[in-house]
Amino acid sequence: MADETGRDWVRQYAREHVVHLVVVALLGLYPFFYDAITHSIVGAEATTVLPQMETMVAVFYFGLFAMSFDFISGYTGYLSFGHAIFYGTGAYFVVLVSNGKIPLLGAGTPFMVSLVLAGLLAVVIALLVGSISFRLSGVYFAMITLGVSQVAYVFIRGWDFVSSNPKDGAAVVGHPTGFNIGVPWIDSLNLAIGPLVGDELSLAWIHLGTTQVSYYLVGLVVLACYLVMQRLIHSPFGKVMVAIRENEERAEAVGYEPYRYKLAAFAVSGFFAAIAGGLFAGFRRSVAPENSMYFLVTGDALLSSIIGGFGTLAGPLYGRLFDETLREFLSKEGAGGGLLPYLQGHVPGGVMDAVIYNGLTVGEAINTFLNGHASLYIGIVFVVFVLYVPGGLLGTIRGRAGGPLAKRVGRLLGGDDE
Amino acid sequence: MILPLLADALGQFFRPDTLVNVFVDGLSKAAIYAMIALGLTLVFGLLGVLNFAHGSLTMIGAYLGGLVMVLVVGSATGDVARLAAFFFALVFVFAALAALGGLMEVGLIRELYDRPPVYQILLTFGLTLILDELTRIAVTFYGLQPVAKWQDALGTKPAFMATSVHVGGVDLSPLSLFEIALGAVVVLGVWLFLTRTRYGLVIRAGSEDDEMTAALGIDVHRVFTVVFALGSGLAGIAGVLLMWDQVWGASLPLAQQTLLPAFVVVIVGGLGTFRGTVVAALLVGMVDATMTWWFQNAVSFAGLPQMMIFLVLVVTLVVRPQGLFGIAEVGDH
Amino acid sequence: MSLLELDSVHTYYGDSHVLEGVSLTVEEGETVALMGRNGVGKTTTLRSILQLTPPSEGSITYRGEELVGRETHEVAGSGVGWIPEERRVFAQLSVEENVRIAVPEGDDVDAALELAWDAFPDLADIPERNAGALSGGQQQMLAIARGLVGNNDLLLVDEPSEGLAPLIVEEVRDALARAAEDTTILLVEQNLPMALDLADRFYVVDHGSVVDSGDADEVDADSDRLTRYLSA
Repeated sequence: MADETGRDWVRQYAREHVVHLVVVALLGLYPFFYDAITHSIVGAEATTVLPQMETMVAVFYFGLFAMSFDFISGYTGYLSFGHAIFYGTGAYFVVLVSNGKIPLLGAGTPFMVSLVLAGLLAVVIALLVGSISFRLSGVYFAMITLGVSQVAYVFIRGWDFVSSNPKDGAAVVGHPTGFNIGVPWIDSLNLAIGPLVGDELSLAWIHLGTTQVSYYLVGLVVLACYLVMQRLIHSPFGKVMVAIRENEERAEAVGYEPYRYKLAAFAVSGFFAAIAGGLFAGFRRSVAPENSMYFLVTGDALLSSIIGGFGTLAGPLYGRLFDETLREFLSKEGAGGGLLPYLQGHVPGGVMDAVIYNGLTVGEAINTFLNGHASLYIGIVFVVFVLYVPGGLLGTIRGRAGGPLAKRVGRLLGGDDE
Repeated sequence: MILPLLADALGQFFRPDTLVNVFVDGLSKAAIYAMIALGLTLVFGLLGVLNFAHGSLTMIGAYLGGLVMVLVVGSATGDVARLAAFFFALVFVFAALAALGGLMEVGLIRELYDRPPVYQILLTFGLTLILDELTRIAVTFYGLQPVAKWQDALGTKPAFMATSVHVGGVDLSPLSLFEIALGAVVVLGVWLFLTRTRYGLVIRAGSEDDEMTAALGIDVHRVFTVVFALGSGLAGIAGVLLMWDQVWGASLPLAQQTLLPAFVVVIVGGLGTFRGTVVAALLVGMVDATMTWWFQNAVSFAGLPQMMIFLVLVVTLVVRPQGLFGIAEVGDH
Repeated sequence: MSLLELDSVHTYYGDSHVLEGVSLTVEEGETVALMGRNGVGKTTTLRSILQLTPPSEGSITYRGEELVGRETHEVAGSGVGWIPEERRVFAQLSVEENVRIAVPEGDDVDAALELAWDAFPDLADIPERNAGALSGGQQQMLAIARGLVGNNDLLLVDEPSEGLAPLIVEEVRDALARAAEDTTILLVEQNLPMALDLADRFYVVDHGSVVDSGDADEVDADSDRLTRYLSA
């Protein structure tokens, strides 16, 4: 192995992260690519199939949530069925701070500070919940976390401190500009997010609209969080996590205290889950119990993890990308493009009105069985994956490559042979 | 400031007629919870699978039962005929859901026997998505609002069940009494099945030690299928009953509304134990009824009953993780 | 043809290569003892026969039919009974139910119960008691009773005397001796005097394979031949 002098370390790091750089580059270019291709000859087709910017922002922040879910569930084997509690905490905290409802924190608190504080609050919750839950394992652990998060869900749904109509959640009030991502308190190093109230950005010949700016900012935060989690996974701490998953008794026999590691891992996962929730609320500028604290939110993270690859960390992001892309494709409103508007625009009326069966036209059939029913197809993919592709997309690719892609590619580039 | 209000509410609560009302309400809720949870318990006890699709099966049972009733019952149909139709619906739905459950087990869940149990749970989670969405498609196709309770089905109740009866100063709802009766019959039926038939014996033994059971020459895998079918059938008939109850009703959300309390009952009772499920159903039913009264009369927090039910789950898991009647197992399940 | 024949059986328990080529035979009517230190693979041998821990290599034939690859319940159904270590009676079932469930479907249950009560009058007194409430000795009798009513020609018995007081061990020995009169027995047992008393032949297992065998009357409990492989 080469001497770990400064330059060599950087080179080593770069080699090992080539795959990451490639992915980041691809994602970085995506807005320009999307813009270009949707205005090209194949524009209509592209709009139909490719996810739009707003959807991609959601892929980022929910992908972070799913990754945090994988961090605890995929690596330690303890399924955190109540993970939504952290996401919800992050989301509600951000909204409440900006509405001036949190004592000691004014409405003008920088968004970045809110995010970190929300993460710390989640850490406290994680430690509390973990201290009672990690005494149990398997199904019991999953159930107790589920129970706790449902208590939180019911509570936040009825707590009128949150808003005048807590059942519907809370919205950001009196904060006309978007939330700022950047260096807190230094205005020039900040940009606001939000599809409508965010900032636009013009650099040389590049003009970025509000959603595109949000795309990059949210993406940057998510990337940073991912890199931290990834570092932890590939550290001795991460190895203990995996040892706990493989054989907890043996890990204990070797001298580790599983309880401590589990708690720490849970706290880390909660921290990043709350950041994800904060980003979500910061972008959408509102939060409801159903889309933040409800157990189906955790279910979505589970979906993304299985499709993307459990225990791969990056897998859930790709899983969410698949999920959101399919949902946009089959969306009933056809907001980001999608099957319905494409067919309406490009398939002759005669075909759409053709009757298949019992007065049911092609158009109606598509509306009944396809549009708005992405959940069905995602569910089918999920079941197929559970049965036949247990490693998920990324897991299967890793299986073929023989290990985490970044490391494999890194080794190849470094000239070491496997 | 709170104290006098609290004292006032307590005074109101501890009046005989309040207590009787709450008790009857609790019993009827217990009957429902028992019916919802029994199928889940049997499956969990024998297969070790926490069937996430259980709630969806109840919902499908509610819609199917509603369908039968709406087709068969007209506005002129007499009460007795309506009851007869209801029992027919029970049998039909049981058979249909049992068949569905059996197919699911043989076709899908069986593939995962050799894998860690978490995969079976994941599979049932995926199945619940598919079942829910298919139901949504079917329901909207026929012009029903999936999220709203199916009013027409609710209306197929016999006339005498739609109103309360006043007996000795106490409000009794005939529907509640019917629910209690039906719940008792189902619980009794399952109990007889488990204790008096060879199949029930095999199920009880297999729930305890499926390896030893196989070593006695019994094809445990086939029993798995039968139990899954049975559990699904039970989920279905719970749904049929709920179709008539204003508080629940046949709707898409019914799947989650029944799944979560079912989990609570099964875990609090002690995974896979019949006795535990029945006792836990009584406990949860009483907690639900009590907290509903307190919500309606004193504490203005709409989620109070639900929150209390989940707190019962959390407290039980902290204090006695194996549940009321479970055997303390090391690891495993 | 031997009743039971194992030929170069290899079995893994997880990652651990427990059986590294076990070969032995059991003739109809005899009682064979399988002896060895803890962890050498005696229990795994029995489990392999029943396909509870299926072998990865080798063959196991019963009455000439290959068992490897079959389902456990099929093996058990063809007349192989298991009286496992730790008894494993169904604690939540009654004594009578424990016996009942061991009776193969189609057989006369009442006759089977009669057989069990005759062989174990102590159990006949407490048919409704939960098996979990029985003493260790009673549980062992119950486990043997299950083996008897199961229409088994071969009984795989694993450490029946474990954890039992000497007086009870005597009773267990007597029960097994009676069983041996019309059933073939493969007995895993660390209690050497009892094993040699009951057995016609023995095998010694060490590190996952058979290292010695012979007639039971060739040796006694403190023979070097045995003690070198069996230590406290």
